Amino acid sequence: MAGLIVRRLFQLIPLLLGISFIVFISLHLAPGDPASMIGGPTATREDLASIREDLGLNDPLFTQYFRYISGVVQGDLGYSYQTKQSVTEAIMIRFPNTFNLAIASIIVATVIGVGAGMISAIKQNTSLDALSTIGALAGISIPNFWLGSVLILLFAVNWQWFPAAGVTQPPWTLQGMKELILPAITLGTGSAALIARMTRSAVLEVIRQDYIRTARAKGVKEKSVILLHCMRNAMIPVITVIGLNFGFLLGGTIITEQVFAINGVGRLMIQAIANRDYTMVQGAVLLVATLFVLVNLLVDILYALIDPRIRYE
Amino acid sequence: MKGFFKWQGWVISLLVLVLLAGGCTPPPPDAGSSGKQKLVYASTADVVGLSPIKTNDRASARALDQIYETLFTRDPKTMEIQPLLAESYEQKDPNTLEITLKKGIKFHDGTPFNAEAVKYTFDKFRDPKTAAPRASLLEPIDEVIVKDEFTVVLKTKKPYGPLLAALAHSNASIVSPTADKKGNLMKKPVGTGPFKFKKWVPGDKLILEANEDYREGAPKLKEVEFRVVPEVSTAISLLETGEVDLVDSLQPEHLDRLKNNQKVNVKTNDGTPVTYLGFNMKKGPGKDKTFRQAVAHSINQEEVVDALKGVAHSSKGIIGPKVFGYNKEIEKEGYDYDVKKAQKLLKEAGMDDKTMTITTANTGNYPTLAELVQGQLSKAGLKTKIQTLEFGAYLDRLRKGDFEMVIGGWTNSTGDGSELLYPQLHSDNIGASNGTQTSIPKADELIDQTRTTTDKEKRLKVLHEANQLLVKEAPWVPLHHGVIVIATSKNVQGLEVDPTGEWHLQNVSLK
Repeated sequence: MAGLIVRRLFQLIPLLLGISFIVFISLHLAPGDPASMIGGPTATREDLASIREDLGLNDPLFTQYFRYISGVVQGDLGYSYQTKQSVTEAIMIRFPNTFNLAIASIIVATVIGVGAGMISAIKQNTSLDALSTIGALAGISIPNFWLGSVLILLFAVNWQWFPAAGVTQPPWTLQGMKELILPAITLGTGSAALIARMTRSAVLEVIRQDYIRTARAKGVKEKSVILLHCMRNAMIPVITVIGLNFGFLLGGTIITEQVFAINGVGRLMIQAIANRDYTMVQGAVLLVATLFVLVNLLVDILYALIDPRIRYE
Repeated sequence: MKGFFKWQGWVISLLVLVLLAGGCTPPPPDAGSSGKQKLVYASTADVVGLSPIKTNDRASARALDQIYETLFTRDPKTMEIQPLLAESYEQKDPNTLEITLKKGIKFHDGTPFNAEAVKYTFDKFRDPKTAAPRASLLEPIDEVIVKDEFTVVLKTKKPYGPLLAALAHSNASIVSPTADKKGNLMKKPVGTGPFKFKKWVPGDKLILEANEDYREGAPKLKEVEFRVVPEVSTAISLLETGEVDLVDSLQPEHLDRLKNNQKVNVKTNDGTPVTYLGFNMKKGPGKDKTFRQAVAHSINQEEVVDALKGVAHSSKGIIGPKVFGYNKEIEKEGYDYDVKKAQKLLKEAGMDDKTMTITTANTGNYPTLAELVQGQLSKAGLKTKIQTLEFGAYLDRLRKGDFEMVIGGWTNSTGDGSELLYPQLHSDNIGASNGTQTSIPKADELIDQTRTTTDKEKRLKVLHEANQLLVKEAPWVPLHHGVIVIATSKNVQGLEVDPTGEWHLQNVSLK
């Protein structure tokens, strides 16, 4: 296990170097210019020239990349072209919001997804199964933008149960939880649908196996058969889906953050891309990539905990 | 079984918690409606920074307007330029403006406001090493001289007519030299304005507090929060629930929803922004005046204004009614909507069977306008394709002159005609702000005169002449002139909105 962790962490180094290079090149190849975005439509040629000089954009591309990457290896992600703020600081201000939202969403997704998937499998080919399938299809199909706006209109504007937008309190306070509920539902429904489909098929596969029949024959209660015997073995693919989804959610959930005015990494990244704030985009992408790898590593570790047969050499 | 109940217990507790949270009424929002004299403004973008020297964006300008002050200001009703930090001024000769400053003013950090502070600010602003994004604003100034503690002399390279308008621009705000030397104004601004900096959480909110020592008395609002709400529809929901008090950047589709709401006031004011259909004047069919005239006759401005449901007003001028330099005589000139004439001219130009591309950005009303224009041009017989680009890519195309026709706009935050014509339509700015690559020698000459003439009446005359010429040459066909729309909760009192879209909170209070 320790070997796996060390190996994965070492793999991160070439991966991040590769990502930083690809992101750097793609940003420079994309149309648009950071100086133009800072100067805005009013900037004169002279204004643009002095901004470019100030940002070091007149240097050859490789010089710019090596300047950036030598900062990164020393732990310095640089400064935002636009706000002159430290990239690390800008990300750190926003990351807790994205993290809390991702956790809340994955809880919503897991509770709904696993629950619906299990019911669907146990009551296979009944109206409950059909309802769950339709629900899952709707969950995947409804765009977050629409769902978020509808939830705001219903639960915040009309009924005033929850605040309309923003995160002002920590998530462990009542107000903090209220602030997270609508965005978590908005974001969680898509993942819930995937988890439900995966749970259904995994449970259906396991439930037909001999040891389940044996358990039933021994007179074990149905509840225990499902929850203790069946679920544990069915969880491996479900955890994979949950883990992958959690990784994606940590990468920033642009639309939900935008609709609910949550100051998260996704919104930071989209603004940085729009402003051609190269250093900020690169910093955010490196963070997201690292998190994605770490979450996947965590999922691998969880496999071994759930299924003792899985061993990593 | 134990494990099962434990797990089930967690789920049930979570559900109970969710229901409990949902069932409770939220506490009164921490907004103005709580009677705390705290106003919350929903801004679609975060401030880039808090230094007038290093920023050039709308969100920052709205905040800077409350923290800093300029030497001059514009009366939002009359659009006249008046002294603000200046006491009086005198044009000593065409290149020399002597400004006497008000006495006894202090920056928020206690630094006295004087001629040295003005010199420090303007010198830093103009220094190429500073790389100020709006450096062009004060580019005509050659030298800033401190005559005595409260008298500053601005020497310009050439006579510069719009100097007072430039000095009234947010970016020409005076900063505390002590604070700038010691710290970072981008993070901790220090000005002389009615509000002081309290806290900034980048991407989330900026909080200002009343400057109790403000020379004209402390503002009634004790606190102002600039809250970042990127989606206007969410901002409107927050306004409806009383969580914010002020929203701007409104689009036509939002107005009906707001006008029917009893808790909300919607204020509109004809503004300085102009939106146009422009031609590439350097290459392609746009070079042909007959073609441009054909397009100009195809555009039905009234239909555009109607479609924008109250966020637009019409004028044939490139310099619109709210901009210094406007003369209503322009309405008799320009090109009338006349489809038959347009068809005839299109044939003459050999463009009746051609297809042109309209390039536009995916912001604001631009995509709607592009479709509207496409429809109007097709009635005249010109086929067009619409190319909608993300703003950065759009700006890049404009700077490079890589387009055929373009939907564009200019806010004109100084409210002066020269500050529209020079950056946008003078050949000096091709490759930068002159997106249509317009280079008309006679227009250049007139625009130069609008800048070098210091007499107000003469400037009005020459600005009108330039407006007439440019309307006739038609590098731009004006589509509409903007209306500034803001929505506030009913308890907001005393808010005046400038036609440039600026507002000041000094005299605002909450009922």
